[in-house]
Amino acid sequence: MRAQRMQRTLLSLVLRLLLLCTVATGKCSGKYHELLLQLQRQADLMQDPSTLLDPYIRLQGLHSPVLQEHCRERPGDFPSEDALWRLSRQDFLQTLNTTLGLILRMLSALQQDLPEPTNAEMNVRGFGNNIHCMAQLLSGSSDPKAAEPTQPGPGPTPLPPTPPSSTFQRKLRNCGFLRGYHRFMRTAGQVLRGWGERQGRSRRHSPCRALKRGARRTRPFPEVRRLAPRGQPPR
Amino acid sequence: MRSSTKKRRDPMALFAVLQTTFLLALLPLRTYQSEVLSEPLPLTPESLNVSINSTKQCLHLQWTVHNPDYHQEFKMVFQIQISRFKASNVIWLENYSTTVKRNQVLHWSWESELPLECAIHFVRMRTMVDDARIPAPRLWSNWSSWEKADAQNSLGDHPLYVFPKDKLVEEGSNVTVCYISRNHQDNISCYLEDVLIYGRQLDQNVWAFEFKNVSFIRKTGTNFYCKGQGDPEGVVLLVSKVLEEPRDFSCETQDLKTLTCTWDPGNDTGLIQLPSYTLFESFSGKKTLCKHRNRCDWQVTQDSQEMYNFTLVAENYFRKRSVSILFNLIHGVHPMAPYSLFPKSVSATNATVTWKVYSIGSSSALLCQLQLLGEGKVIQQHNISVRVNGEYLLSELKPDTEYMARVRCAYADHFWKWSELISQNFTTAEAAPSEAPDVWRDVTFVSGHPTVTLFWKPLSKVHANGKILFYNVVVENLDEPSSLKVLSVPAPANSTKVTLNQSSYQIYVTAHNSVGPSPASAVAISGHPGNENVEEGRMNGTEDGFPMSWKPQSRNATGYVVEWCDSPQHLPCVLRWKNLGPTNTDTVISSGAFRPGVRYNFRIYEISTKRMAHLLEKKAGYLKELAPSYNPKVNMSNLTSHSFTLSWKDYPTESQTGFIQGYYVYLKSKTGEKCHRGFEKTFLTDNSVCCKYTIDNPDQKTFVVKDLQPESAYEFLVTPYTSAGEGPLDDFRKVTTPDEYSHILIHIILPMVFFVFVIMIICYLKSQWLKDKCYPDIPDPYKSSVLSLIKFKENPHITIMNVNDCVPDAIEVVNKPEGSKMQFVGTRKSPTETKGTKPAYLDLLPTEKNYSGPGPCICFENFTYNQAASDLGYCGHFPVTPQAPHCQLGPLTSPENLLKTLEQNYMNSLGEIPAGEANLNYVSQLASPMSGDRESPPTNPPEPALCSEYKMQMAIPLGLASPARSENSSLSSTALLDPREHCH
Repeated sequence: MRAQRMQRTLLSLVLRLLLLCTVATGKCSGKYHELLLQLQRQADLMQDPSTLLDPYIRLQGLHSPVLQEHCRERPGDFPSEDALWRLSRQDFLQTLNTTLGLILRMLSALQQDLPEPTNAEMNVRGFGNNIHCMAQLLSGSSDPKAAEPTQPGPGPTPLPPTPPSSTFQRKLRNCGFLRGYHRFMRTAGQVLRGWGERQGRSRRHSPCRALKRGARRTRPFPEVRRLAPRGQPPR
Repeated sequence: MRSSTKKRRDPMALFAVLQTTFLLALLPLRTYQSEVLSEPLPLTPESLNVSINSTKQCLHLQWTVHNPDYHQEFKMVFQIQISRFKASNVIWLENYSTTVKRNQVLHWSWESELPLECAIHFVRMRTMVDDARIPAPRLWSNWSSWEKADAQNSLGDHPLYVFPKDKLVEEGSNVTVCYISRNHQDNISCYLEDVLIYGRQLDQNVWAFEFKNVSFIRKTGTNFYCKGQGDPEGVVLLVSKVLEEPRDFSCETQDLKTLTCTWDPGNDTGLIQLPSYTLFESFSGKKTLCKHRNRCDWQVTQDSQEMYNFTLVAENYFRKRSVSILFNLIHGVHPMAPYSLFPKSVSATNATVTWKVYSIGSSSALLCQLQLLGEGKVIQQHNISVRVNGEYLLSELKPDTEYMARVRCAYADHFWKWSELISQNFTTAEAAPSEAPDVWRDVTFVSGHPTVTLFWKPLSKVHANGKILFYNVVVENLDEPSSLKVLSVPAPANSTKVTLNQSSYQIYVTAHNSVGPSPASAVAISGHPGNENVEEGRMNGTEDGFPMSWKPQSRNATGYVVEWCDSPQHLPCVLRWKNLGPTNTDTVISSGAFRPGVRYNFRIYEISTKRMAHLLEKKAGYLKELAPSYNPKVNMSNLTSHSFTLSWKDYPTESQTGFIQGYYVYLKSKTGEKCHRGFEKTFLTDNSVCCKYTIDNPDQKTFVVKDLQPESAYEFLVTPYTSAGEGPLDDFRKVTTPDEYSHILIHIILPMVFFVFVIMIICYLKSQWLKDKCYPDIPDPYKSSVLSLIKFKENPHITIMNVNDCVPDAIEVVNKPEGSKMQFVGTRKSPTETKGTKPAYLDLLPTEKNYSGPGPCICFENFTYNQAASDLGYCGHFPVTPQAPHCQLGPLTSPENLLKTLEQNYMNSLGEIPAGEANLNYVSQLASPMSGDRESPPTNPPEPALCSEYKMQMAIPLGLASPARSENSSLSSTALLDPREHCH
């Protein structure tokens, strides 16, 4: 258990260093596969419930079966799996970016409810940076401003959930949110892996082709901005 | 009150004018009387308003008392009743006394144990004037009307509510939680931290749970929740640990400008909301809210306030704790640590260190303590008064030694506490080594020339005074004073080898560091070997080492040297030595390398005035003797039926774990016989009985075990013994004594076998000669030597038997495969070709089991005649016509025919076959299986069968032999005589 934790910490540290390096230099990697692999690994790291959800449940005393049953993701907190799979790459990245902004605010509010300073916030920021780089790569532009999102994402409302009135309800709400967060990151990782597999089978989605198609632009963590209203058909 | 005054004036109307002046005069008095003496009237509370504070779970009452006649304040008592669920259910009655002003709005709060949301509350009150200025009797006013407090009105339509929300309680207190279920059919289960609990029903849809003496579980609160059909509803009880009183509260200043007060806050209350800490100073009346839970800074004012009375107040939602101290600013100066501590002008024995301090005030000095540490211990300590810069000269230092200088300071005007220490390491400079190296030598003579190996011990740090870089070895030939040989051996080598001639030498060794050489150490070497024939003595070691003593040989000895090897069992020897003064004649050699069970050899030398070493004594000893760890490999020889010899000559006694004092020979007998002479009976660890013989001479390494029983099994073991015990008794070897006569048999049988073998060889080599001599192929009776012998016998009438004289009973003809080729007229076959051919009849002979013929055919073979024929492959052959039926052989059964045939055959043989090659087999037949009359003449002339010969007579069933009728086939005579196949 301790070894796993150490392993995770080390992995997280390495990932963050890589990300910080990217951010510090202000340059994005121009290697598509490298960037994609990095995104996949980050998604894998962030989907792990032991990084956030499990400590939260332990700290808040929500481990009883009755409460576990009600610690569930609420519809609308995060884009559904189907919606994510139906998105184009650009829209997917944009949705991811928008959702990460929401997650960041929630994590910031949750910091005092977590047992120890977690790396979750740094991980999310790093993930966002790589999403930004991927968007840039797909758009074929080296100008960071060129990654401005122009298309709304699918379904979810990226506003943070309204905090419940009582502490107890807030605990359950946060628990469900964290569960949804991990689920969302897991799905995002699967989608990203799907990119890699499709890339292997077909070059249809190569960066060059993406460049020809024209790219939608993404900037990491834009101002809170409402995506498309729920029910808008995904592209 | 106003109406009662009018009533008194009306009857006096006529006197109104007259009395106006009087009344005006009395008015002040009247007024006073009305205020003091008039009868008090009960005052009913007005505008009673009841509100609910859900956060604090309080009912808040607000009301006024309207009394226009009383302008001054006076005391009143308000009796308040609180009912729950219904007005008649009074749960609280309290008298609230207060001073009331005119038109004052009064407030009163009541905290409910039961969450207010779970029940409707009713409140009413009445009043009574309770002022000394109002004469008795004092009467209660009427009750106000019931005021209702219903928090449930503000609830929504959720089916389940649990109260109170986010209750903050102190550990050890009691808490009541309730839930309201809007759905009566719903089955509600409530849990406190996953434990199902049962409550008390207060109303139709209200249940309460009372928790006594609640304890702290976690910072994020204790979860209580209820669950019906829908989502669970719950509350979090935030339990706070009891706030402790701050301990060890004290204040100090580092610079007389800022005070720092510290304390131990005790255990954390366990809540996210930390208690607050406030520092009050009573003389100045100032206070400050502390930013830390264990420390607070206070700015010293410029008004030269020296005394401070501090009160620290710790406060949280439940408690307030405070501690106070009276603090004199001058007495609490704790200076900051000095800085910039540096050694300067560091020589081999002196060093100057400097440092700086933070000044306190304008004229205050600091007392600084300078400590010098060597090897972690304080070796010097000096106190210096410092205002800004400190400096001190440290002396009596050792060269090339690392020191640590430490400085701390205190307020000189009033010592209270040392500052933090600062430290700095420095190393003094090197100096030339102060002592000569301790040198010893090992001299070996090769071809008469001494080879000297010089050893020296590294100088101790105290004497080296720096890093030793190399050693100089100067070899001076005393016979040739001008001859000097200088060797430089780089450190850290501690030995060198010098080959000399047969002169006398003086060797000087010096150690050099970067500064210079050490004093020289001298060793004298003689060109000739000294007396090595010194008898070795033994000694016993002790816990302290090896004590030894010796007898001086000369009176002019300048000292003695004892040398030994630290690990003699490992080569090469690590030579050690110990120098002793001339007055010493004993010493104790100790070494951390000494181990029990190891033999150490010591040599004691006497050093002459010319630094020449002479061997004085040799000693060997064990720090502690141990029992032998292994037994010798014993060779057994000379095994006889009564004894055998044991020898273990290869067993090295010098390398054992103790002085070998002798050997034990153990002998175990399977038969359990008595111990032989010299052996004694003993019991082994496995309780087996054994005979033991003790050899008390360690040099005796052979032993003859005698008086043994022949053909008996024995087990033996030879184990050495020391003063500590004997070797392991776990490797007995087995031996069995041989039979007493076996050797005799061996002496007889072997020669006999050899003799027979020789005879056989001779017979083989001379077989042809023997054959010719003893049994030729066709013996000539007239030439037989036997005959000549017989002739000399007493029976001179014996003659040679003529064939015609012998009438055989029957003759058996044996077919041979090569019969066709062996006809009388046919070609001859060489003996080599026929040698391996067996008579075919042997294969064709049926077993008795398969016999189904009418009767046996018994044949007798005359080996005297048959053997040669068989060997040569010849037999009595008759020409065979394959087509001829075998029944034609029938006449052969007639004796006459047979004789004729034989005669003819014999004659033909003599005529056609060379002597020695023809053969004739006679077979005697006792019974013929053939049917028919034996006397009857043959119907056909006899024709020879296939290759036939006379062979051993056997009982052969007729009818089973059915040889193939081929030219090459050979048929036995029995088959030919089968009447069923050939005669019918």
